[in-house]
Amino acid sequence: MVERSTAERADFLSRRRARMLPVLAILYFMQQTTYFRSTANPHPRPVDHVWISAWVVLSLIILAALVTKGFWLQPKEVRDLIDDESSRANRLEGLRVGFIFATLTAIALYFVDQFSPMTAREAIHIILSLGLGAALLRFGMLERRAHQDG
Amino acid sequence: MAERLANRIKEKRGELGLTQAELAERCGVTRKTVNTVENGVFTPSALLAIKLARALSVPVEELFWLED
Repeated sequence: MVERSTAERADFLSRRRARMLPVLAILYFMQQTTYFRSTANPHPRPVDHVWISAWVVLSLIILAALVTKGFWLQPKEVRDLIDDESSRANRLEGLRVGFIFATLTAIALYFVDQFSPMTAREAIHIILSLGLGAALLRFGMLERRAHQDG
Repeated sequence: MAERLANRIKEKRGELGLTQAELAERCGVTRKTVNTVENGVFTPSALLAIKLARALSVPVEELFWLED
């Protein structure tokens, strides 16, 4: 096995994250269709509860990845290097975009509810999913762009 | 008027025969950060600008300047 230096390992993991994040964001958005299909059913099946639990778990993992350095199983020096200045800036920009999306979605749902009433659970699901998904997608796109050779 | 922080990192790095990865290691950041600063995509903090200047053995004002 080839031994990598801390810098090489951090660069490798950072590149892998840049490739994974947009894919994860798309999978996360796609998962929402399952949720709304199951809530449309007046008699949810046990498997629907599994899907909803999976959404909650995935949302918590995405949130943790966005607000911490991530790579929790890696040594501290590798994690610190991955979370360098440009990564922190990209992450903050992702969180900024996520916050804007969540706020605008909440405002839109406030008006939509007057014509098509929805449960608090549905509203929370939409706001959280769009906010987190947008933050993840923006962070991922910025990281991908940063890795492209100029 | 939009101002942009221009730099001559690539030129100075080339003079010293350093790769982006080697310069990044000297500054304690990833190659990605050096790449984005070099290409003007990311504006570095004063701390990183000083570290880059020190690693390239040039005064910081020689490495970075404002461009209109």
